[in-house]
Amino acid sequence: MNEAELYKDMAQAIVDGNKEAAVSLAREALAKKMDLQGVIEKGYIAGIKKVGELWEQGEYFLPELITSAECMKAALAVLKPMLEKAHLDAASKGKVVIGTIEGDIHDIGKNLVASMLSANGFDVVDLGADVKLERFIQKAQDEQADLICLSALLTTTMLNQRRLIEILKERGLRGRFKVLVGGAPVTKKWAADIGADGYGENALTAVKLAKDLAAKKR
Amino acid sequence: MTHTIKILPGGRVIKAASGTILADALHEAGFPISLYCGKMGLCGKCFVEIIRGGLPHPDSQEKIILERLLLANNYRLSCRYRISGSLMIRIPEESLLPQMPVLTQGVRRTIAIDPPAKKVALSLPRPDLSTPLALTDLIQSRFPGVSLKISAEALRVQAAFPEGPDMKMTAVVYKGSELTDIEPQDTTGRNFGLAVDLGTTTLVVELVDLNSGKTLDTEVGLNAQNRYGADVVSRIAAAYADPEKSRELKEVVVGALNEMIGRLLEKRHIPSNFVYEAVIAGNTAMNHLFLGLPVQTLAVSPYYALFSLLPALPAASTGLAINPRGKVYLAPNIKSFVGGDIAAGLAAADLASLPGNVLFIDLGTNGEIVLKKDRRFTATSTAAGPAFEGMNISCGMLALPGAIYKAEFRNKLHVRTISGRPALGVCGSGLIDLVAVFLKNGLISSQGQIQGPGKRIRVTKDIFLNQKDIRQMQLAAAAVKTGIRLLLAKSRLVSRDLDAVYVAGALGSTLNLYNSMALGLLPKCPEKKIFFIGNSSLAGARALLLSRAERSRCEKLVRRVRHLSLAEDALFQKTFIDALEFGAWS
Repeated sequence: MNEAELYKDMAQAIVDGNKEAAVSLAREALAKKMDLQGVIEKGYIAGIKKVGELWEQGEYFLPELITSAECMKAALAVLKPMLEKAHLDAASKGKVVIGTIEGDIHDIGKNLVASMLSANGFDVVDLGADVKLERFIQKAQDEQADLICLSALLTTTMLNQRRLIEILKERGLRGRFKVLVGGAPVTKKWAADIGADGYGENALTAVKLAKDLAAKKR
Repeated sequence: MTHTIKILPGGRVIKAASGTILADALHEAGFPISLYCGKMGLCGKCFVEIIRGGLPHPDSQEKIILERLLLANNYRLSCRYRISGSLMIRIPEESLLPQMPVLTQGVRRTIAIDPPAKKVALSLPRPDLSTPLALTDLIQSRFPGVSLKISAEALRVQAAFPEGPDMKMTAVVYKGSELTDIEPQDTTGRNFGLAVDLGTTTLVVELVDLNSGKTLDTEVGLNAQNRYGADVVSRIAAAYADPEKSRELKEVVVGALNEMIGRLLEKRHIPSNFVYEAVIAGNTAMNHLFLGLPVQTLAVSPYYALFSLLPALPAASTGLAINPRGKVYLAPNIKSFVGGDIAAGLAAADLASLPGNVLFIDLGTNGEIVLKKDRRFTATSTAAGPAFEGMNISCGMLALPGAIYKAEFRNKLHVRTISGRPALGVCGSGLIDLVAVFLKNGLISSQGQIQGPGKRIRVTKDIFLNQKDIRQMQLAAAAVKTGIRLLLAKSRLVSRDLDAVYVAGALGSTLNLYNSMALGLLPKCPEKKIFFIGNSSLAGARALLLSRAERSRCEKLVRRVRHLSLAEDALFQKTFIDALEFGAWS
């Protein structure tokens, strides 16, 4: 079986949400000493991209996204040790600190974004829900994050997104991080008004945006 | 010889003598069967389904009608059917006189009429120079053994007392010990109260005679707060950000209620002074906004209320246009977003007295669910979203004339609209029917995908359901299903263990059980275990208005109800994601 076919199978495993296949193909890649970066980009991430398209077309919904993200996670878990050994964790597209903003406990959407970012090659630190603003800032500094992603599901809690950006400015930290906001009541206008770097309408657009912003930063 | 007749939906059992015409028996029992042609067997509007019982051959006239209407052969015209044995029947909606589905009827069960607000006629000896007793002493002497709390307000009586040695007046006494008002002459025959359903979308006010317990009249209106947002969170956000808005929100809802109260009283020429108490059943946020209280604690996690139980408030302090010295009692909030409307609903259903394990579901925007397992009660709110009220659906609308509320597939799609008007859109129960029908006929997959190339499904010439609409339904149904599953799991029960399921809310009586179960909105359950109780919040408010015992039981129950926070449950995400798939479960 040649490389191209294996890549195709890997992508398909993601699209089908077939965890066993994703894992066994990853093991095969290791055994065959394949180029791991290629395996990730042309195999698995190609699959995630297809999943994104299917979501946009209305074919795939939340369950499919979650299942595919889990497959990706499983495949990456198999490959990660080898990647690190070969100092190939420059495969990481960037470091992200993500969480649901202080006062808000909704996290399914945020979990999805975290999964998708991780599946697409980002290093994700998920702080959970109802995360105090201080904790976001502290963690972002500790982890030397590129991106801070803030989720809010209520019109009341989304006000804290603005507050976080203000605090960053007050401390002269604004330039260090790109801030992405999202959540049901959040809009592009709101993101612009509060001075965020971008607005992710759903997990897939969030990933696209994150890629652009991270690239700019580096 | 009498026979029993069990009537679905609802499960009510009535008795009737041999030889009685079924339509008459049903009418007697309060079922408004349509008898357009006067029981001549000509209009075919009174048919019922005979599920169990005698199936006499229809006469030729009836046969023609049954065939014309394409009815299955266990249907009969109730005006032609003579009862000769016990029966189980189903009355289809079509056979009842058209009704406005914004529910104003809840469970009717008998309670002893014992309202907190009572009137006592007094005849007091006129004081003279030798015994110039104060009025308050004279009155107190008529209530031995009770230390009456008399407010100065009550003493500001306008009218002069009539001539003669005796002073005739009526004392208004609250909870047997508080004198709130004094009226000249004997006015005990005029004692009124209000039961109020303080809904997010609609307000319902019932005028109740506190002597007879009868509901005299009802007003339904839209909650004018909706200009600040259709959902509670938007209103909370408005109030949270700006105290001025908070005051406006209170004024708007109190104003709307007062208009409705004004109309009710004017129709019957009842001065507002004769209305002594209003009981309000509203969800937690609505209760806070009604009282003009800060909503900060409801806006952010952990979403706690400022109050659960408050003593009855002086009416004047609330701004409600009843006797200013009267009382306004809010059904107590249970916890967080499970509010007084649910407490009232539980009172209406008398959940505390029901044996075994019972599930209570209020299908609406908040999707509150209460599970009783033996003597333990747990409640949660599922934030199902407004899909059940037709919102966020491309062709969605409230349950108003022109809304498709029912759909079935018989060779082709048949839909029914409220008041029979031409279809303008689809309301909650119609949406459930349509999605169930499409699922059954393969037009959508169980994952919710519309099959085939076109990305929408035709309902009528101008009305379509698109992919996004189906997704909204998935999310709303999944929310409720998750709430039910997690509550059952937490109580270590399975749906088979349920002895009864009570479904309340505007969707209640128009909800198609079979379709709800097919989608997974409700667990698979024998129909006889499911009871629609309509607007249980309103019925509960009425029960609390009319009975001190009911009020006390309600307050005790509320303290016992635990709250399950779905968002904090480790199983929530997985359960919710799995629940997105349409399908029956048990």
